[in-house]
Parts: sequence; C-alpha cells; structure tokens
Amino acid sequence: MNCSRLGKWLPLYAGADLSARRSRRLEKHLETCADCRLALDELRAALAGVRDVAGREALDWPEADWKRVLARVLSAKPEPRRAVRAATFPRKAWAYGLAVILVLGAAVLVMKIALSPPAAPLLTEVLMPTPARPSRALMTYETPSPRQLQDVPYGVQPERMTLDRTLLAAGTTPEKTTQNMMSMTLVSQETGLQVHWTFNRNFEWEEKKE
Amino acid sequence: MDEKEARLVELVLEGRTEAFEPLVTPYRGLLLTLAYRLSRNIEDAKEISQETLMRAFRYLGSFDTKRSFRNWLLQIEMNVWRSLGQRAPDEGVLRELAAGNPTEDPQERLAGKETREKLLVCLDGLSPREREVFLLRDIEGRSVRETAEVLRTSTLSVRVHLSRARNKIRLLVKDRFPELMGAQR
Repeated sequence: MNCSRLGKWLPLYAGADLSARRSRRLEKHLETCADCRLALDELRAALAGVRDVAGREALDWPEADWKRVLARVLSAKPEPRRAVRAATFPRKAWAYGLAVILVLGAAVLVMKIALSPPAAPLLTEVLMPTPARPSRALMTYETPSPRQLQDVPYGVQPERMTLDRTLLAAGTTPEKTTQNMMSMTLVSQETGLQVHWTFNRNFEWEEKKE
Repeated sequence: MDEKEARLVELVLEGRTEAFEPLVTPYRGLLLTLAYRLSRNIEDAKEISQETLMRAFRYLGSFDTKRSFRNWLLQIEMNVWRSLGQRAPDEGVLRELAAGNPTEDPQERLAGKETREKLLVCLDGLSPREREVFLLRDIEGRSVRETAEVLRTSTLSVRVHLSRARNKIRLLVKDRFPELMGAQR
C-alpha cells in the first residue's frame, strides 16, 4: 500500500465523506500503517476542536438592529412571482441538448452505414501461382482445400482449376508441390487496365500492362 | 422545506409581508455568524446579512418550495459575500475582532476573546473557497451535496477543497493551538 496515495483520502475519511469502497481500502491500510493512524487521529481531534470552538461562538443581532433591518427589507418591493419551472430549469440544459443531438447523429450514421450496400472494389487481385517442377530447395505449396477456398476474401480469385490442370499435366501430385515462379494480376474494374507482375525465386520481377 | 415555512412563503407572496419576519427570524443568527466567519468583520457581516435578507424578500417569488429554505438563504448569502469582493481584513482588524465584537456585552466579550481568536486564525489560513466549503460542511453541518448546491459547484470540487481545508486546519491547530486537539483526545 502507498501512504502518499491513500493518505490523501484521510481528510475526507475523517469527516465520513469518503466513498464506502475507498473507506474499506483505507481501513485495510490503516491496520498496518501507524503514521496514517496518527495523522487520522490528529485530523479528527483538530476538526472536533474547531467545531467545539465554533459551537461556543454564535453571534446574533441586537434587537434594535434586527427591527431596523427588517423594516428596511420590508420597505422594498418584491419581484412578481415566477414560474417555478423556469427557476428550476437545469443550468446545463444546453449541454444535455447537445449531447442528445450528438447521440442521435451518431445513431443515424451507424444505421446508414449498416444498411448501405457494400462498395465495389476498385481492384481485383488475382493470384495465379505458376507450378513448376518440384524442388526440395524451395518452399512447398499446399493446394487449398475447398473449405479454405470458400474462405478466400472477397476480390481474391485463385484460379484453382487452371492450377490443378497444370499440375496434373506436369505429372505432380496436387497435394504437395513446389513452385519457383509466382504471378499476380491486378485488374481495374473502372478502366479495365490489367497489370501482370511475375516474380521468380529470387524475387526478381517483371511487369506487363494490358 | 417544512409546511410552516411553505405557508409563510405563500402568505408573503400573497402580499402579507409581515409573514416575512417569522419566516427569517430562525435564521438571523445563522446568517450573521456565517457572514462574520466569512468576512471576519462585524460591519461587513451585518451588511452581508442585510443584503441577503433584502434579496430573499425581493426574489421570494422565484423560490422553489420543494427546496430547503435554509439552503436557499445560505446560497444567497454566499452570492452576496462573493459580490462584495471577499474583502480580507488586515491584521489590525483581526486583532480588534478577536478582542470582541460589538453585538456582545463586555463580559461575553472577555470570555469569547480567546475562542474567537482561535477560530479566526484557523479560518484566516484558508483560501476563500476553502473557507466557504469548510464552514458549510464542517461548522454548519451541511452535507457535501448541499454544500455543492449552496455554492453552485460540483460535489467533486467540494471534496477537493474540503480535503485541503481539513489538512490546513489540522496543521494550524497542531502548530498554534495543540490544546484544542488534546481536549478532544
């Protein structure tokens, strides 16, 4: 426990103005901290002493002065009665109103986003792995399962059939193969422009635009 | 607000202004004492109390009878005290006040001199806001919430100033008037 942190709560605790949760934490600390217990005793004693002094000193008006003051007060003209509702109108009503407007605005925005159709992608990424003869020195490429293919993110279109046919033609097994070339085609749906990138095993690449 | 006070307020608002005296008489000592402890000057205290009563009478029509009349008066007094600029007396005035105030007879002045000096010294060590909070919460016994309502501030602000005020009072009493602490132990 930290005296410098919990000790700040002592003045409020001494006057029973600390929250129940903090009071419990402070009480636990007080069981083991003699310094804080001493400070609490001093606080309580000082407050009780000042209250006692204040309780013994109470002023009052001399009767003549009091009558004179009342006469002066009653000679004034009171303001007309006002509606209580106007008097009790929350002082921060403008802040509450602004908060309501902000919450409503945020709700409308969220609804609008949730109900609008998804935007069409600008580019479609097409992965076209080019199979090659197996090589133990290269990383293996595992053909994705139909389940995995269903989970491919929107816009990525693996050309599985082409890959499978090529692989079969090359006489390799589709489950486990290797590759040393990879190509990627980016197609703009707006302009139809196609950009082909081809990478070899050393990440040397070529670019071709159509 | 109790029924008796609500009835008196209604009477005053109906034009029977003589009902104002029984309405405010229970608080006349409280208003004067609080004003004195805030201003530490009996003349200022009288001025503050009188202005408080004037405003209470003038604006009684806007008083919400669901609220505490006592707290409403205290709120007006705090506003008056602030509008007067929270004048702080110099040392000479403090000593003069500690010796006695003109509302008491000579015997009471003598008996209360030491007591008054202790309280004034303690209150003088606080900032104006700390003094307001300390007087309302610890001397007048208002709750933190009521104190915040009277001072038109948040309960958080009241707790912060109350905490500082109590710490200062503890150190002042310990250094200057340790006999007060001894009497309570």
